Amino acid sequence: MTRLIRSLRDGIGFDTLLIILALFYLFVFAGLPLIYNVIISFQRVDVFSLGTLWHPNVGFENYERVFNDPLARRVLINTLIFTIGSVALQFTLGFAAALFFHQRFPGATWFRGLFLAGWIMPGLVVGVLWNWLLSGDFGVINHVLKSMGWIDSAIFWRSDTAWSLYAVMMANVWYGMPFNMILLSVGLAAIPDDLYEAAELDGANAWQRFWTITLPMMRSTIGAVLALGVIFTLQQFDLFAAITQGGPAGSSTVAQYWSWELSFREFDFGRGAVISVMMIVVVLFVSLIYVRSTRAETRL
Amino acid sequence: MSAAWTNRLLFVIALVLAGIYLFPLYWMYVTSLKTQSSIFAVPPEFLPGVPQWQNYALIWDVANIPRYMWNSLVIATGVTAFTLIFGAGAAYVLARYRNPWIDVTLFLVLMLQVLPPSLMVTPIFVGFASVGLLDYPRFGAILAISAKTMPFFIILCRAAFMTVPRELEEAALVDGNSRAGAFFMIVLPLARNGILVAALLIFMQGFGEYVYSASLIADNRLHPASIGMTNFLQPNVVNWNAIMAFAATYVTPIVAAFVLLQRQIVNGLTAGALK
Repeated sequence: MTRLIRSLRDGIGFDTLLIILALFYLFVFAGLPLIYNVIISFQRVDVFSLGTLWHPNVGFENYERVFNDPLARRVLINTLIFTIGSVALQFTLGFAAALFFHQRFPGATWFRGLFLAGWIMPGLVVGVLWNWLLSGDFGVINHVLKSMGWIDSAIFWRSDTAWSLYAVMMANVWYGMPFNMILLSVGLAAIPDDLYEAAELDGANAWQRFWTITLPMMRSTIGAVLALGVIFTLQQFDLFAAITQGGPAGSSTVAQYWSWELSFREFDFGRGAVISVMMIVVVLFVSLIYVRSTRAETRL
Repeated sequence: MSAAWTNRLLFVIALVLAGIYLFPLYWMYVTSLKTQSSIFAVPPEFLPGVPQWQNYALIWDVANIPRYMWNSLVIATGVTAFTLIFGAGAAYVLARYRNPWIDVTLFLVLMLQVLPPSLMVTPIFVGFASVGLLDYPRFGAILAISAKTMPFFIILCRAAFMTVPRELEEAALVDGNSRAGAFFMIVLPLARNGILVAALLIFMQGFGEYVYSASLIADNRLHPASIGMTNFLQPNVVNWNAIMAFAATYVTPIVAAFVLLQRQIVNGLTAGALK
């Protein structure tokens, strides 16, 4: 007993205790829910059976109902468009901004830091701000587009089924761009200057230097940033809640929102769990790519 | 073009870019100070007129702002405390050793960072309901949010611990400190700045959290300000000056903390943690 206490205070037991604290916590509040999620996706869980740990088994009924739901196709397509569109735009704009601030002019680092003001905001507030910017009649964005002559009549971003998903996407690109920029800036800063100097001596122009030095040297950073972008985009919920609430008529419903809606609006937790299970498998797969590219870069 | 002029040109472009990017924040503050009629002016009034400070006073009680902000504060404080207590030690151990077990643990932590809250909340809600944790909804929300923030915190903190020279800890051990003593007296104080920045980021996340609170907390008196905003938004959907005043009241503490600590936050994020 005294040996154990001594080890906890002054030996390997101390490290073990510290790591177990965190792992135990994460196991209870993340690991167990993951397992439980798979279980309840095969059960009928509604408001009446909520109070018990075990619910009536229904086999694959929840899965069948989700797949046969007329909304399922729409949601799948929306999720793909939203994720690919958001990640592509965030990455491109973030990379452009990172390259711009990499030109070492006075104040560059300070200006770059300013952009993080968007990233630290609560998602719900960002959503409400964009809700107002995108307002059909009195929104600033419509006003700017009209005065530039790019549109003739106001676009009803939030209530037009053709635009609602893109309204949320715009807000999401604004929200996620700074994070992409900062991570890519870190990658850019790690490229040794003499590589560029040597290329310049050999007569390579800026365009050639970008394609032959910057991009290849950034390969693992780009992999990590793209994977993180997909992961964060699939986590996005607040913007949907604040701008369109998945509507109108499901035109801006994505998988992570649909799952929540089934659970907490229709109180059919079994079907909500079905979508959770499938999406979490996707997310874990993407994060394998992310962890691998992180390892390549930092040699953990 | 001389170097000085190039620099000036880049500076001006940077100013314009930052201006465009931060416009939504500017627009929030400007709208919050407008009269009911001038928010609907066509074309929009981009410069503030006479500031209508009473917009803030008017919503303060009507929208229950003190109560919502208090609940946000309670949740954010709880989340930060749990994350710090359970996560800091693990970050230290993960920074101190390098072996296959550490790799596996780090891999697990990284994988847990990616779970979307809106998907995890279904099993958490059902589980909490059956073990009775929903009777203490704010506490339940704190527990769930902490599990979401902890992996991110561990990764940031690990970078902070890695900057502490190993020799200092070994010197403390030679001087007769126990491992626990060296950790609390030497290593923690030396990694303090990095840990505080990470804790601040976690606090901000807790302060703005929405999904878990909205799903686990049924009692309106216990709702944080993020839910307060959605509650306020629906019946007031044309009073954009009032809504923006609410939003401004909510985020100004976060924006102020960011402005004061911008350099430390950016450094903390780029310290190699998130690569």
